[in-house]
Amino acid sequence: MINRRNFLVKSASALAITFVVPSMLTSKAYAKKPLAEKVTNKQSWGIHIDAGKCVEGCTACVDACNEENGLTGFGRPETDSQWIRKVTVKNKTTDKITTMPMMCQHCENPPCCDVCPTGASFKRVDGIVMVNQHTCIGCRYCMMACPFKARSFVHETLTQQNTNAPRGKGCVESCNLCVNRIDHGANTTACEDACNKAGHAAITFGDLKDQSSKVRIAIDSNSPRRLRNDLNLQQKVFYSNI
Amino acid sequence: MFAHDGNPHVTSGKSKADSQEACVEPTDLMRKEHYMFLLHQRDETVVDGVRTKKHSFANCIDCHVSYDEQGKAIPINAEGQFCQECHVKTATNITCFSCHAAEPRFPQHSSAASKIDLNNINELVKHIENDK
Repeated sequence: MINRRNFLVKSASALAITFVVPSMLTSKAYAKKPLAEKVTNKQSWGIHIDAGKCVEGCTACVDACNEENGLTGFGRPETDSQWIRKVTVKNKTTDKITTMPMMCQHCENPPCCDVCPTGASFKRVDGIVMVNQHTCIGCRYCMMACPFKARSFVHETLTQQNTNAPRGKGCVESCNLCVNRIDHGANTTACEDACNKAGHAAITFGDLKDQSSKVRIAIDSNSPRRLRNDLNLQQKVFYSNI
Repeated sequence: MFAHDGNPHVTSGKSKADSQEACVEPTDLMRKEHYMFLLHQRDETVVDGVRTKKHSFANCIDCHVSYDEQGKAIPINAEGQFCQECHVKTATNITCFSCHAAEPRFPQHSSAASKIDLNNINELVKHIENDK
């Protein structure tokens, strides 16, 4: 039997299910930036890396990065570009061996930008540290300033570059958090996708300012650390279980 | 006033641009000032993450690149092609392509394109559109 009270309760619940629930769901989804708008500091991109899940010998993230950005080697490992690389470290006290991916750490206080004579090395307002290759003169000061050896210099004439990753001889380059993908509304980087696909899920990318983003959830539940915290660079790449 | 005003080039192959009424801005303006649009867009894109398509360099390539009889894209800076032809005549060096791709962003055009009639420009346009 429907009396006035039941009717009101039921219509209110129906309304809530129709309007409130979807809005709760969508508020957690990533808000895509319109292509014509400039990036803002409302977002701050970062990565959490769970070294405990990273598998020695796996190079899925490195391969995916090379593929995404068209990084082809010349068989010269000393000078070939690498935007992400695998690093294996051993704790001398406990003999614990840890392997993890290493890339530009996207510092809040980036030393590469401090030393760049032309301003080509810059931090975007959403926290991505990049090289503006139109103004890079290839002096490589940034490569010397970076404590993480994250940057590479292109020594050779390149052909067959990817449209989404222009790069050429005489410029420095490094991980840009798949900036092209992000600007087009993606919420993952190539390395993250590859790591998930390989079944390890060690890499989590997302917006550090969004309390409910996957990267924040990973950081909040793992209490990770930054590498070389003593340098106070305030990186946006965090490592757990090192 | 430019040396070859009113003296349009004929490039080999067929491009999507061949079928269009006009470029993203009036043709006269584009012929003389295209680099200004590119320069403006370049800084907005790299520094501020603006990714609009209208003055995007990648979109210039997608539309203006020519396809040969086998349906394979010809690099736009190759001899006799859209960018190169005019830049040679005006003795201006293009450095864009030492870093930027000179072919469209979907090089897989080539395989499927061999099956289409390249004399039918509408079919070519449809093919390029479909690949996106």
